[in-house]
Parts: sequence; structure tokens; C-alpha cells
Amino acid sequence: GIMSARSWVANEGGKHLVLMLWLGTNTWLFLKTFLLYSTGQQYHYLYKMLGLGLCISRASASVLNLNCSLVLLPMCRSLLTFVRGTHMVSSRKTRRLLDKSKTFHVACGFAICIFSVVHVSAHLVNVINFSVSYSDDFPALNLARYRGEVRHKYMYIFPGVTGVLLVLILFLMFTSSSYCVRVSNYEIFWYTHNLFIVFYIILMVHMVGGALKYQTNIEAHPPGCVGTNHSSTEQHGDELEQGEDEERTCREQAHFQPHYPQTWLWVSGPLCLYCAERFYRYIRSYDPVTIVTVIRHPCNVIELRMLKKNFKARPGQYIVLNCPGVSSFENHPFTLTTCPTENKKTFGIHLRVVGDWTERFTQLLLPEPRIDLEILPMVRQRRYPNDGWTGFRLQRLYFVWVCRELQSFYWFAELLCAVHQKLWQENRPDYFNLKLFVSQTDNLQSMSDEKYRPLTSRLLVGRPRWKLLFDEIGRTNKHKRVGVFCCGPKGISRTLHRLCNSARSSGTTFEFNKESFS
Amino acid sequence: MGKIEWAMWANEQALASGLILLTGGIVGVAGQFRGWQFAAYAVAAGVFVCLLEYPRSKRSKGTSVERSGQYCFTVCVKAFGPLTRNYYVRAFLHAAICVPGGFMLATVLGCVCLGIASLIYLVAAIRGEHWEPILPRKEVRKPITESIKNPPQNPPPRPPAEIRRKRVDDLEGAAYDNPISVTDNE
Repeated sequence: GIMSARSWVANEGGKHLVLMLWLGTNTWLFLKTFLLYSTGQQYHYLYKMLGLGLCISRASASVLNLNCSLVLLPMCRSLLTFVRGTHMVSSRKTRRLLDKSKTFHVACGFAICIFSVVHVSAHLVNVINFSVSYSDDFPALNLARYRGEVRHKYMYIFPGVTGVLLVLILFLMFTSSSYCVRVSNYEIFWYTHNLFIVFYIILMVHMVGGALKYQTNIEAHPPGCVGTNHSSTEQHGDELEQGEDEERTCREQAHFQPHYPQTWLWVSGPLCLYCAERFYRYIRSYDPVTIVTVIRHPCNVIELRMLKKNFKARPGQYIVLNCPGVSSFENHPFTLTTCPTENKKTFGIHLRVVGDWTERFTQLLLPEPRIDLEILPMVRQRRYPNDGWTGFRLQRLYFVWVCRELQSFYWFAELLCAVHQKLWQENRPDYFNLKLFVSQTDNLQSMSDEKYRPLTSRLLVGRPRWKLLFDEIGRTNKHKRVGVFCCGPKGISRTLHRLCNSARSSGTTFEFNKESFS
Repeated sequence: MGKIEWAMWANEQALASGLILLTGGIVGVAGQFRGWQFAAYAVAAGVFVCLLEYPRSKRSKGTSVERSGQYCFTVCVKAFGPLTRNYYVRAFLHAAICVPGGFMLATVLGCVCLGIASLIYLVAAIRGEHWEPILPRKEVRKPITESIKNPPQNPPPRPPAEIRRKRVDDLEGAAYDNPISVTDNE
């Protein structure tokens, strides 16, 4: 569809604003540090020796400091959830921005990798220049022992060793975080990414014993001054182009001192925050969870009902399960399908048996089915508390569910029929609009049960035609804001995102949101 | 932990190492460092490693995501048969390639990264993995001719006119069964 400026701004505006701010901050920091080293008086002699390499390496270092501190913040998920839920953040725009925290983390990660390459390359050039432009006037400034010296032992100075280690860890972390590896072997990604703590510890001591020094006595020895035993080797070329040569005499020799490590100033705050976050998650997970019910649904789906002390959740949130009987270190996220309420404290998830963890978990939960026993889904009275419906500004809900097989709809058949029934009784039939789609068109069966009538009459064969659906929803909700929540494969997600950004004659704005755990 | 495919991670590492080797080599040659011959070697080695590692292998279980435009590389790499299929060969090849990079400062990082990738490939080879080309799936076309049966040429036989006359008052009784069963031409 044609993109409309209004829809695009509603969906993408906030994200791109943050992106611009972040890029702007990085650029400003880079330029500021670059200019400091190229024009600053205390770096005058060092700049003469090393040239551009000095400025680029230091400028990229400050950008690295910034991004290494920012990259941790989006990963403080409990803190972000807390901020998102408070009334400080009442605007939906801000909440949608907070949902994009993982994207920001990836952007900072990319910046760290790119600027690490720049930083390392610039320092390589510095090493050469230390040797080629060996300074006889200011021996304290040199790294090489004599002019033209080339040793590989430059890497054995402390920043060299720490630098190589840092790049190695970054290499491991970066190569294991590609989409491919995350989808096929999440454990490799998770365990290598937890090397971040080693990375940060080494980063904070990286600059100790550094080779770059600044001049401490610029008043007593203004750079470029002429001294008694100071030859004018550096005053060749463009230095003498000034007609009037201010003959300033030096009162003292130049004194140099290496910088103190500054990275810890940037990084320690977010690092402590993130460590506190991990600690909080660990403490919270300490209370055991009681499994109340296990229900087996068709198509390899298990519904799990659980109880935990002081557990509160709102619709749309997810929990992370850890079962030490299956694996001590694996944590798996599942969206909540039943939230605890005032009257009913149990909460539930639906999980599909797809990988080895879910298989083993289900084996522990359920005994092997005997052929003579038929396990029926438990039909229980669902009492929907009236107080659970307050506080929502929702005016209408369209639920579109696409499944491969008809049997999959049984996972929530009870719930859907109960909600439909309740709303009919309350005389709000247009509140909940259900559309079910079965995408596999051969071997069609039917839901023969009479009690599932509301579902069978809303069942369509074949994939949904999203554009027509959007047009229909737009026509019946003119000039309103419609939130679109997509949970599904990337193909559908992309199509819906494009449709949300496209032009709409009905004046409806569609805001796109998606959930994915990979 | 389950079944981890180490080769996939090794492939990502080897590709990244090839790029690092290439970058280091370019910096070394451009800056005319001493020992720039090693840097020139690193440029060539980096390009070779990137070309070898660009096509992803097909996963043994699950869907394989191929890199964009990798088909021509797949064909080239496939042509070497068992040399590229076997991960032991790749592990030793990468170990051998990375060694000259260690003699020059600019290419040392590429050397170490490629060495790590070579180790992971060794682990993959010990676990019995091998490289499979991702080839486009040929669409299996069902032969159309056999599933379409000849449509009937003649209309079905009708009962005599008295029975056929429409009896509006008794629609249920007006329905009749065909005296001759209607079947397809088998």
C-alpha cells in the first residue's frame, strides 16, 4: 500500500526521534573529543607526534564509553516493566517506545562493534607514528625506545593486552548474537553474552598504564614557546607562516602525565543497575510455584495453571519459567494466558511442545497416556469477575486467529465461547469480534460440538486477506485509534506493519505492536 | 543443552574473522607497516575465507535461513565435494591460514579470531556435522492429467414425464432417486 505520512509518523515517529537523538549525541561527542585533541593546548606536542590517529582513537573511545554505558539500560527488564506500569509514563507513545528497548540495545551493540574497529585501527596507526615521529625534544612522550623501532611487544603494554582481550570477547559475543544462531542454539547466545561482566571489568582497567600523555604545565610552558635548549624542529613547514612570530620563552620544561582511566565514570552506574536487576530477578524467582492443573489440548499443547505467593500480573505480560528438574540454567518465556485476579489467584500459560526442554517438561508433568484412558479437556465453570473489566479504555476487540489445523482452536474454545456468551448476555454483542481462519485447506474436519457454535459460524477457510480486513475495520471505526497486536511469524508481522503504515481513507490510525521472544 | 549445531556458530565466527583479517591487512598495506607482505597475504587470505564461509550450511533439523545472494557461492563451494563438506578439512585449513597473520601487529586479531573459529569447527567435526548445500526446492508438480476425470458428456437419465411434473404441494415426495446410478468413467 501507499505509505501515508500520518500513519508513518504515528507508528514510526517516536522510534526515529530517539534514533536521531542518539545519533546526534554520538556525533557531538565524537566531534567534541576530536577537536579537544586536535586543538587543545595540553595535547599540542602529542598531536604533533601522532596526528590524526590520536584524535580518531580518542574520539572513538569516548563514543565507546557512551555506548557501553547505554547498552546495559534497555536490558533492565524489571525496571522497564515497573516504569512502564507507573502513572509517570501514562502516554501510550512512551509505552510503545519502551517496548522497543531491545532494538535500542542492538543499535548500541552495533555502534560498539563499529567504533571498536575504528579505535583499534587508529591505535595501530598511533603505534607506527610513535616510532616514526620519535620525539627527541620530549622523551617522556615517547612509546618507542628509539626512532624507527618496530616491536610487536607494543601489545604487551597493559592497554594492548586488555584491548586484545576486549576485542576477543566482543568478537565472541557479536558472532553468537546473529538471528540464525539465536534461533537454532539459544544457549550459545546466552552463555557468550553473559561474558559481558568480564568485558566490563577489563574495560574499566583498560586505560591503566596508557601511552597517551597530556601536558600538565601549559601556563609555565605554553606550547610552541622557544626555550634555551629547545630546538625548533617542530617549527618547520606551516608553523612559520605567521608573519609575527611571538617569541615566547619557556619558563620550564614540559611535564607530561598519563590520563587516569575515565571509563568507570561512564560505565559503573548502568553496570550496578543491571547487576541489581539480575539480583532482583534471582530473589524474585526464589519463591516456589505450585502447579495446580495440567490440561492436555490437541496439537501438542499443554495448559498449565499455577499458584505463586504475591504474584501480580496484567494482561499482555509474560513469565519466564525455570524447571530445575529439566535444566538448571534454562529459562523459557511464555505469555500469560490467564492472569491472577482478586478472586482467583491462579495464573496460566499455554505451552506448545516444540523443543527438547518442553518435551522433557511435559514428560515430567504428565504420565504416558494409556490407550484405554482418554484424556479429555477439563470443562470447568469459568467465573469472570466483574471487577476485572474496569480500568480498560478498550471499546472494541477484534480477535483474528490463524491456525494450520482445526484442532488447534480447541486450546481456547471454552474461553472464547464463554466470553462471547457473557457479552451477549450483557447486550454488548459488538464488543468482541472473532474471526478464525484455518490455513490448511485439505483434510477439513468440523467442530461438531453444538456448544462451539459461536466458533464454527465465524470460521473461514484459507488465509486471511489482511488488506480487506483492515479496510473493514477502518470503515467501522472511522477516525479512531486502533492498536494492532501481532504475535506470529515474520511474514505476517511484516505485512501487518506495512498495512499499518499505509494510507487510509477512513481516517483511522493503526498502531503496530508485536511480540516475539527470539 | 540438547542438540547444538556448533558449525553454525563456527561459520559466523569464520566469516567475521575473514573480514577482520581483510581489514587488518588493508590497514597494514596502506600504512606501509614493516612486514607489509604479511598484510598483503592477510588481504588475500581474508577474501578467500569470506568466499568459503559465505554460503550457510543446511541445518539437519529445522528451517535454514540462507544469506542473501548465496546461491552462486553455494554452487562454487559444492563443486569441491568432500574437501568443503568435511569440517575437519575446514578446521585444519583455517588453522593453517591464520598462522602467518600472527607475524604482524595489524593482522594479529584476525589470526586469533580465525584460530577460535577453527577450534569450534573441530568441535563440530568431532560431533559428526558436515556441510550441506542449501539448494532451491524443486516444486513437485502433481501430474494434472490424471486427477481431472472426463466430465460426463450426457445429462443423467430422467424418469418419465408424469413423475417429473413439479408437485408444488408435496416437495418432499417430488424428489426421486435416479433409476440408473451415476458414476464417473473409471
